[in-house]
This record gives sequence, structure tokens and C-alpha cells, in this order.
Amino acid sequence: MEDGSLRSYGLVLSKIKTTDQLFRHGHGIARATRPRTEEQRQADIDKIARYRTLEDDIRNRVSRQDYDHDTFGLTSKLLRQNPEYYTVWNIRRQCLTSGSSSKPWAMSSLSKGSSTFSVTGTSHRASASSSPPFSTETPPSHDSPTTGTSGTTAEATEDRQMRDLEIIKSELVFTVPLLMEFPKCYWIWNYRLWTLGQAIVRLPTHVARKVWDEELGLVGKMLHRDRRNFHAWGYRRYVVDQLESAALAGQSMTESEFEYTTKMIRMDLSNFSAWHYRSQLIPQLLRERGADDQARQKFLDDELALIRDGLNVGPEDQSLWFYHQFLASNIIDDACSQTIAPALSLDQRRSYIEREIDEMKDLLEDYTDVKWIYEALIQYTQSLGRLGQQARPTELNGWLAQLKSLDPQRTGRWNDLEAQLHAA
Amino acid sequence: MESLAETEWDVVISGTGLQQSLLALALSRSGKNILHVDANSYYGGNEAAFSLQEVDEWAATTENVEVTKAEGGLSFPRAYSIALAPQIIHAKSELLSQLVSSKAFRQIEFLAVGSFYIYEPDHVSLNRIPSTREDVFTNTSIPAKLKRSLMKFLKFVLDYDAPPHRETWAPHADLPLRMFLAQEFKLDERLQADIITLTLSLDGNITVKDGLRSIHQHMSSMGLFGAGFAAVVPKWGGLSEVAQVGCRALAVGGAVYMLGTGIKSARASEQRVDVSLSNDIDVKTRFLVKETDVDASTMSLVRLTAVVHSDLASLFDVTVEGAPSPVVAVVAFPAGYVRTPEGTASEVPIHAMVHSSETGECPKGQCVIYLSTMPQSNAKSLLENALSSFLRAVGEAQVPEVLYRLSYTQHQRVSHPSDSNVVTLPTLPLDLAFDDAALASVKAAWETCTADDDGENEYMVFEDREGADNDDYE
Repeated sequence: MEDGSLRSYGLVLSKIKTTDQLFRHGHGIARATRPRTEEQRQADIDKIARYRTLEDDIRNRVSRQDYDHDTFGLTSKLLRQNPEYYTVWNIRRQCLTSGSSSKPWAMSSLSKGSSTFSVTGTSHRASASSSPPFSTETPPSHDSPTTGTSGTTAEATEDRQMRDLEIIKSELVFTVPLLMEFPKCYWIWNYRLWTLGQAIVRLPTHVARKVWDEELGLVGKMLHRDRRNFHAWGYRRYVVDQLESAALAGQSMTESEFEYTTKMIRMDLSNFSAWHYRSQLIPQLLRERGADDQARQKFLDDELALIRDGLNVGPEDQSLWFYHQFLASNIIDDACSQTIAPALSLDQRRSYIEREIDEMKDLLEDYTDVKWIYEALIQYTQSLGRLGQQARPTELNGWLAQLKSLDPQRTGRWNDLEAQLHAA
Repeated sequence: MESLAETEWDVVISGTGLQQSLLALALSRSGKNILHVDANSYYGGNEAAFSLQEVDEWAATTENVEVTKAEGGLSFPRAYSIALAPQIIHAKSELLSQLVSSKAFRQIEFLAVGSFYIYEPDHVSLNRIPSTREDVFTNTSIPAKLKRSLMKFLKFVLDYDAPPHRETWAPHADLPLRMFLAQEFKLDERLQADIITLTLSLDGNITVKDGLRSIHQHMSSMGLFGAGFAAVVPKWGGLSEVAQVGCRALAVGGAVYMLGTGIKSARASEQRVDVSLSNDIDVKTRFLVKETDVDASTMSLVRLTAVVHSDLASLFDVTVEGAPSPVVAVVAFPAGYVRTPEGTASEVPIHAMVHSSETGECPKGQCVIYLSTMPQSNAKSLLENALSSFLRAVGEAQVPEVLYRLSYTQHQRVSHPSDSNVVTLPTLPLDLAFDDAALASVKAAWETCTADDDGENEYMVFEDREGADNDDYE
């Protein structure tokens, strides 16, 4: 993709914003407010008037059942200004789907014979558990006029599909600038999902797959732009589910998604969503790999090494501690179906936690004022207790004292913790 | 139409090096009568970029310039744009801010500078220098404890000029940074070398004050315009592009440009300067701005520029997901790491700025390597050795062939204080990275030339001219 030119990379030198790569406090998004002059106020009034006219026009057409090409064009105009107006998205859908062959700019009518062009033999959508929040239209009752002898049917089907593909593509393109400007507007995503769903219903599987693959690429770009856009992460999950589904003749993507989290983490250690996603993929990953106990233990060792490296350079980062806790809980808690290495003996589990405590004590050599370290040390000491190790490290009181002094706002909580420790 | 001699010029500028060209940019909307001349037949002065043909012409008329070409393999001369003074520009630099505020940036294509490497003589390899937390995280050759020390230093630098950090280094401000790194942060020699390289210190002995400032600029530039890079270079020849854009802006603003024309003599009186041009035309101007005529140089840089037959792809890896492909790699050879054939070790660092063909400076499949070092005994031989060590270390299946060599020395000259209507500009400081301090003399020159004006105009702040392309950059 990259041709090296920062211009094509979407660079705007005039929008210089400082990013602090070591400390990410908040999201650093500046919100500008400007007081209006009289001129600006008048300009706004005019703008509102024009918008109202546009809206009235559309509503009039709808009440006349006029879903023609002009109406379609008007929805484009309005949605560019106000993508939150979900009724107008519905109107747009109507325009595109109340079609027949006499409306070449709209999608073809889905006749009963439409199921024959899908390789999987059905036009069913994704499984119920991940069905998108829209409804598909029911195919109109009349047959397409080109159904006839088998020769013409095949051609006509292909033409229909080509046309539908073009429309699907252009609808996707329509939403892209809107997404760039309003990345968290549910209705745009909704419409995009509906369009993509249409690809599954109307197009041959391999063509639909390509459309969804590109969608994955788009999500990747959005996540690159704003790693904290949790809508994008959820959306990614949905796209991956579809790509893995039978409707798109899919296969498991767990390995490649796991690799994706590795890439995102290398790009930015603070990426909580990436770490979280990673943790969600692990049970499935190990199952798919058919990992035996030895492989599972090695996997655990590798992940612990990874997070330890992360904590070594970024102990102030809560995301990393959360992931460490996730790994530790795999060791401390009783084994279940999701556990990474369920065959570890009690002795082994104890020695893992002891090792982690040692590693954290190393961190204290250089990082003396990071409260997470003390909190983790105390927490894992307690866990050791649950695993049967009763002896208490002598430093425990010292750690507690440090915790209280570094985080005085939570004194009550630390006092409770202290009481717990002494009661046990 | 008035002739040159009849025109009442407001400013005559001599030379189209970067600083004069930035002055041209600054004056481009002033509506003044400006005559901009350059004795050379090309733009850019000491910061020019040459085709191979132009190098030959320049070599023929300049002392101590040597050109060697291999038997075959070179493309046609205009396929090359060899920069005489390549410099990287940090993202957080005043120069870029000025190019943005003056809208001149729209005519320049900026490309990303990528990784910094240190040559490792024992294994004849290149080690990538970590400069972000994620770099340190992914590095597999630094032990955990040293990583912590390094992280503490990087965090320190980010906030170095505020208390309490300021109190920590201020007492040692003029001591070598190397010592400070060892004593205060317990960094080992290898990490000290890494940090010193990030400062791009030419003599390797940068002070604490200057070193911290330099690293701070590097770190706060990282990620500013996009993930994975801290500096940029203009495409098609680096600073010469900026010079051309500056001159073009002033030309559009109505100035007269004459190449191949220098200043024979100038006589300043109270309200004007009488300038005698090399083409025997005499002009009168309110102000004259020219390059320094001081003979002695305060500093020099011995250079070897080589074109090699390889795209050196491994150096230009994208290290961060989604980041733009870098086009420049910086390679440092700390003092002592390079030897002459007789075994004499280098006394000062040698640097190689490796430019891929994406810079537009050479055709695809080739790279331009700009080596430089401060004057030392056997400098040329050491540069040659650094080049061959680098080519072996880069790890290609076959050592890339050198198609072209250009060697010369650059000199830095200060200027005398300016008179009331004759401004002399020093040469651009010889640096691997653009030093914003160089902009001060340009602004001072602008203030002189606009002293008679009503003082309403902000420096280097303009609106787009009509018809300028707004769309490209969203």
C-alpha cells in the first residue's frame, strides 16, 4: 500500500498535534469551540433553512411513494450533512431495493431463482449468533423478465450480479468519507453492514469474500488511525466472524488475528483493546493448534516472557498489568475449559507465581514509585496463600506502606487489604 | 518597462542557498521590488542538488572535488539528483512550522526518515537504535536491567527542561553527555553510543545541554506526523527543493531572478547600496543581502557521496504497522570503529545517510549514500573504508557494487555583523539534521529589509494564493 509519500498517507502538516509516546494520558483529542460573529450566525441560519427544505422535499417524495433516482440523490445530500438521521438511511435503502429491471441504478430484484448463483447453494446469511441488526427485504413476487431458457438466465444473472456489485461498491464508497468524519456514528456502520450483507445474499461467494476482505482492510486502517475506537474493534470482530462463516466459505482466522494483536502491541504497548482481544483468542488458538500439555506450557511461558518485557519498559501502563493478571489467573484459578495450561501441578503453579513475584521485585530496583508493582506484589502474595504457600515475604508491610503513600486517595482500600492480610 | 539599472530596488539578494531562499519566501508577499541573483547557473548554492552532468561541471570549476565513475551501470545523468548538503528535518522543527504557516509546504513532498543504526565491527553488522518505548520492548539484545535504565533516561529526556529534572543535569551542562549517561543512568558503553548517535553529534562529544536538547527534539518529533518516524526529507534533492520553492514563491510575487549573475562590488551609503553586477549592470537598492565573504572556515565536513547498485531494501523496513515506508536510513560509525588499511583508527565519528531511490535522487534499484566526517588524518581513506564496511554489513547476498563516487569538503563560514543596509548571511551550519538556529539570521535579515514597513506583517504567515490546491492534504 505505502508508496512512501506522506501526502498519500493523508498527512496534514497544518494539523500538528503533539503526541506523547511514552505517557498516554487521555486521548488528546482537542475540541474547538469558536464564538460566532453575526455573519457566521446568518450563514448558519441560511444553512439550516436549506437543510429543512431538503428534508421536506424528501419527506414529500416518500409520502408520494416516490423512491426514484432523484430521491436517492437527495438522501445522499442530506446524509452527508447529517448521517445520524436514520430514517433517511432507511429511505435510501428503499430506493435501492424497491427495484425492478426498469431501474438500472437500483439493485436487481431478488427473485426466487436467486439462490442458484451462490456456491454454497443457499442465500442464507450469517449464523444467528452474529446476525446484523437489520432485516433483509423479501424478494418481490414477480420474476425477473429475463428468466427464460438456461442460456439467457446465466447471462442475465451475471449482469444482475455485476450491477449489484457496482451498487454495493458505490454504497460502500459513499459511507467512507462519512465514517472518516463521524467514526462513531452507529447508523453509518449499520448501513455499511447492511450493504455488506447484501453482498453475501446477492453475489457469488468468492466475489462477496473479496468485498469482506477489503472491509477487514478498512477496519485495520481505522484502528491504525485511532487505536482506542472500540467500535472499530467490535466491528473487526464482526467482520472476522463473517469471513470465517460458511456463508462466505470461510475458515478460522484465529492465527492471523492473533498475529494482528502482536503487530498492534508492537506498535503501541498501551493498546488495551489489542491485549484484551489477544486474551480472548487464546483458548480457541490453543484448541485449533491441538496443543498438548507441553505445548500449552510453552505457550504460557512465552506469553509471560512477553508481558514481562512489556512491564519492564512500561510498568506505569495499566493495560499491561491487566494482561499480566489474565495470565496469572490462568495459573492461580482452578483449571477450566479456558485455562491455558490446565495440567500444571500445584507445585508448578506455586513456583510460577513465586517467579513472578521475584520478577516484580526486580522491577522495584529501578521503578520505585509505580503503585501497580506494589499492588501486584501484594495480590500475588495473597494468591500464593490460596495455593498453599503460607509464608509471608518480609517486605509485605513495606509494600503496603508504599502503596498507601503513593495512592493516598485509596487509603481506605489499602487499610482493608492490610486487615485482610493480617486476618489470614 | 524600466531597465534593471533604472529600477529603484528595495532588496537585492545574492545567492540562492537555503537561507537566502527562505528570505525570498519571507518577502514573497511584500510587494517589494526585489532582484535575486546568483553567480551560479543553478539554484540552491551550497545546498543545491545536481544531476551527474551538473556535478561534472561543478567539479571542473571547484577545487578538491573528485568524481569517479564505474565502467557501467549508471543510468543517464538526469536520473540523479545528488544533494550537496543532505540534512534530515525533524518533525518538530521551526523550519517545518514556517513552511506550513507560509503555505510553501504544499509544493514540497516530504518523505519519512526511518531507522538509525550503529555499525558493529565485531560482527560486521548494523544494530538498530531503539528510540521509543516500543523499540526498546521489541529489542532482543539489551538485557532487562539496562532496558529499565534506558527507559528511565528516555522518560527523563521527555521532560528534561522542567524541574526537577533540570536541577539534575544543569550542574553538568557543559560536560560530555557520555559521562552523564554513565554516571546518572548507568548506561553501558553500547547504550551511550546509541544515545550519542541519536543526537547526530558530529564529533561524538556533545555536551549534556546540547545532547539533551537534541534527543528531546528527536523524541518529541517521533510520531508527530504519523507513527514510526521522527524526521522527514523533501523529495527530489532535500534542502534544494525548499530553496527552489522559496525562490519560486518570490518570483510569483514579482521578483526578478537572474542566474549566472554575481556581485562584483557593492558600495553602501546612508540610504542605499550601489551594486555592481558581474554582467556590468549597476543597480541601486535600499538593501543588499548576500552570503558571507569571510575566507576562514570555522568548521568543515569531509564528504564522500556514493551511488550503489542495490535498493538496500533491508534498511528501509517499515518497523511500525501502517507507517509510511521510510526513504532514509542513518548509519553511524562511532570513533575507533573504522580503520585505514594501515590500521589507524578513526578519531571522530563517521556518518552515512543512506537514501533510497524513493527520494528521487537516483533510479530504482540504486541508492545514494552520503558519508561525512569531520576533518581528521586520513579522512578520505576512512570514509572509503566506512563505505565498504557498511556495504558488507548490510547483509545482502552479494556486496553491492559502487557505481559512482564524489568526494569534496564543505566549509562553514560565519558572517560579520551586518551594516544598516547590507546584510551578510553565514553559510548554513554543517549538520546532519537541520538546526533551527540557522533560521535566526534569516529572520533578522527580513526584519532589516522590512524595517521601513508598517510592521503589521507576521513573519512567514501567509494565506494560500488563489488556485492553490487545498484538497491534497486531507
